[in-house]
Amino acid sequence: MTGFLARRLLLAVPTLFGVLVVVFLLLYVAPGDPVTAMVGERADAETIARLRHELRLDDPLPVRFGHYAGAVLRGDLGRSYITDRPIAADIRERFPKTLELAAAAMLFASVMGISLGVLSARWPGGWTDRLALGASYLGVSYPVYWVALLLILLFAVQLQWLPASGYGGWKYLVLPALALGMRSVAFLARVTRSAMLEALSADYVRSARAKGAQEWVVVGRHALRNALIPVITVLGIDFGSYLTGSILTETVFSWPGIGRYVVNAIARRDLPAIQGTVLFLSLTFVFVNLLADIAYAKADPRISYR
Amino acid sequence: MRRVASYLMVFVAAAGGCDDRSAPSRRTITDSRDNYDPRSLDPALSTDVPTGRAVAYVFDGLTRFTPDAKVEPGLAERWELLPGAAPAYRFHLRQGVQFHDGTPFTAQHVVSSWERALNPATKGGRAEPLQPILGARDFAAGRAKSIRGLRIVDDSTLTVALEQPLGIFPKLLAMPVASVVLPNLDPARPVGTGPWRFVEWKHDDYLLFAKNDSYWAGAPPADSLRARIIAEPSTAVAEFESGAVDLLLVPANDTKRWEVGGDAVMMSVPALQLVYVGINATRGPLKDARVRRAINLAIDRREIVDRLISGRGRLAAGVIPPTLGGADTARAPYPFDVTTARKLLAEAGFANGIDVELWVGSNPVYVRIAEAIQGYLTAAKIRAKIVQRESAAAREAARNGVADMILKDWYADYPDAENFLYPLLHSANKGVGGNVSFFADAGFDRLMSQARAEPNEGNRNVLYRQADSIAFDQAPMVFLFFYNELYAVQPWLTGFTPPVIFNGQRWLTANLEGGRRKEEGSR
Repeated sequence: MTGFLARRLLLAVPTLFGVLVVVFLLLYVAPGDPVTAMVGERADAETIARLRHELRLDDPLPVRFGHYAGAVLRGDLGRSYITDRPIAADIRERFPKTLELAAAAMLFASVMGISLGVLSARWPGGWTDRLALGASYLGVSYPVYWVALLLILLFAVQLQWLPASGYGGWKYLVLPALALGMRSVAFLARVTRSAMLEALSADYVRSARAKGAQEWVVVGRHALRNALIPVITVLGIDFGSYLTGSILTETVFSWPGIGRYVVNAIARRDLPAIQGTVLFLSLTFVFVNLLADIAYAKADPRISYR
Repeated sequence: MRRVASYLMVFVAAAGGCDDRSAPSRRTITDSRDNYDPRSLDPALSTDVPTGRAVAYVFDGLTRFTPDAKVEPGLAERWELLPGAAPAYRFHLRQGVQFHDGTPFTAQHVVSSWERALNPATKGGRAEPLQPILGARDFAAGRAKSIRGLRIVDDSTLTVALEQPLGIFPKLLAMPVASVVLPNLDPARPVGTGPWRFVEWKHDDYLLFAKNDSYWAGAPPADSLRARIIAEPSTAVAEFESGAVDLLLVPANDTKRWEVGGDAVMMSVPALQLVYVGINATRGPLKDARVRRAINLAIDRREIVDRLISGRGRLAAGVIPPTLGGADTARAPYPFDVTTARKLLAEAGFANGIDVELWVGSNPVYVRIAEAIQGYLTAAKIRAKIVQRESAAAREAARNGVADMILKDWYADYPDAENFLYPLLHSANKGVGGNVSFFADAGFDRLMSQARAEPNEGNRNVLYRQADSIAFDQAPMVFLFFYNELYAVQPWLTGFTPPVIFNGQRWLTANLEGGRRKEEGSR
């Protein structure tokens, strides 16, 4: 296992280097001058030239890349062009909030999604099945953005049970977590259902039933455990994407997370902030995938890594 | 299924009425206008509206703006233009003013603040308001150790010599970048002399301020002030409807619903914002003023304002907003007259029409306006191709002179006609300076130079009006409209005056009336 982990981590290095190169180049070829965005509508040519020089925008591309890569290796993501604050500090401030939201959404999604999936597989064609199917169609088809606004209108404006937006205690967490987790509920329910249907028709389930095991043991221990692999895959991918910034949800609910940070950075052409965030988020994504791999082994003892 | 759908409809419809709101129990005025995190609370870095607004809460300049955009004394009690050949002002500073940490304010702080703002190490990039000071450019470029034009007479007297006469200089000092700070300013914990003390800043979430009890102009009546940062306009609307915020800038596409009314007090205020189409007067057929006039005549502005921005605009007949001195409010905008437009085109030798590119940024409202303009122009045989780019890229193309026409807007930094006429149309500002029309007219330039040097406001306004009239006649742009901001104010928020300029409203008279009931607190 340790050897496997070490190898996977090593493999992440070229991936991240690739990300570094791509991010760097993408912004270089993108139209729009960061200095123009920095100084706003009006500034004299002298100021613009000075800033271009200060930001090393006049240096040849490879030199700029070298400077950047060197600093990153030293753990320095640079300072924002716009705010002059260190990017690493900005990320440290925002990422825990994104993590909090992602975890809550994931908790909601996995409890709801897996339960719905299991119930509908156990009684295919029954009312839970049809409900789950309906719910997952809705969940997949409606944009997060729209659902989020409806949630706000109902729970914040009409009922006044929960705040419409912002960050604070659990009250602020409920609506964004529901909105964000909804798509995953839908996916998870469908994946769980099909995996469970397959598992429930397997020989070992028949054997378990034959030996007189209670139904919840048959479904919960024998079938579900075997059906978990594809579920973990979906969980891993969704969690990874939540962590890398659920931009729409964070925007609608004014959640001060990494998604809004990166959108702001893009809008203001804040090159170092974009680069630093994307790099950090790629690292996060690689890490979450690694966690999913470990979870496979935990769920299914037949999978082992050497 | 049908029932679910009808429930959803009910929610959506219910959002329209804002019934059953009672005054909040909180004692903190809550603002919802900022839609992105301020850049910094360092005045030297202030280039955007959220930053400028927050800076005006914590800091003071020598002068300041009132909500209706008049300049009034700030840290300077009064000032006078000194007699003599060289243009210089003497500022008499307020005595007994203290920073929030108790440091007494002196003339030295003014000098060190301005040096700091001009110092390239501060990475401000927007110290233009201070550049008219004699020696400021040398200092900014590192050619001088201090600013030659500044002289401290005593703790409460400062003389400021200018490079050239500039009548609007006192106005420039009300801009955020000219604010007075302590020399060791920490942008994470800013300390100023302003009406509000900084308490905390949760990035992308809110800024919190507490009243400065010893403010020289009297402490604000409310205890504290929270500026929420709400990215999505619909969310801000929901927050307002749930009573969680006290003030809302009504989004343009939501106007009709609010005009119907409800509990909220609606206030409309002309923003110092011109929406226009810059016509590059150096490109092809656009060199001919008749062609540019034809373009102006071919567009139905009234219809654009009514249909695309819910009537929230005043048609422009020149570049000076009607609320500012110098505006010729009697001048009629270009009429919608396709026949004359075609005739003018034919006279200019383009009977078969012309082909132009119309650039526009990513603002969806502006994209729709551009499409409408394209439609109108087609009827006058002006075939406009829309080129849509990300806003910074579109702006850059226009500055580099590669765009025939560009639909954009211009906000005032300071409330003076000069801030429209000079950057947008003076030949010294071609391209990067803001003159994307690349307009160069000797008569216009002469009037503007005269106006800038003229210390008397009345005389200055006469010159502005003449310059504006030249611009109107030469039509280096399509004069579209001046935008009106629409505010919704909760019935329990009193003493709020909507500002014409972004940093003109500092909550100096506003308060929440805690116990007031809904029945009494209607419009």
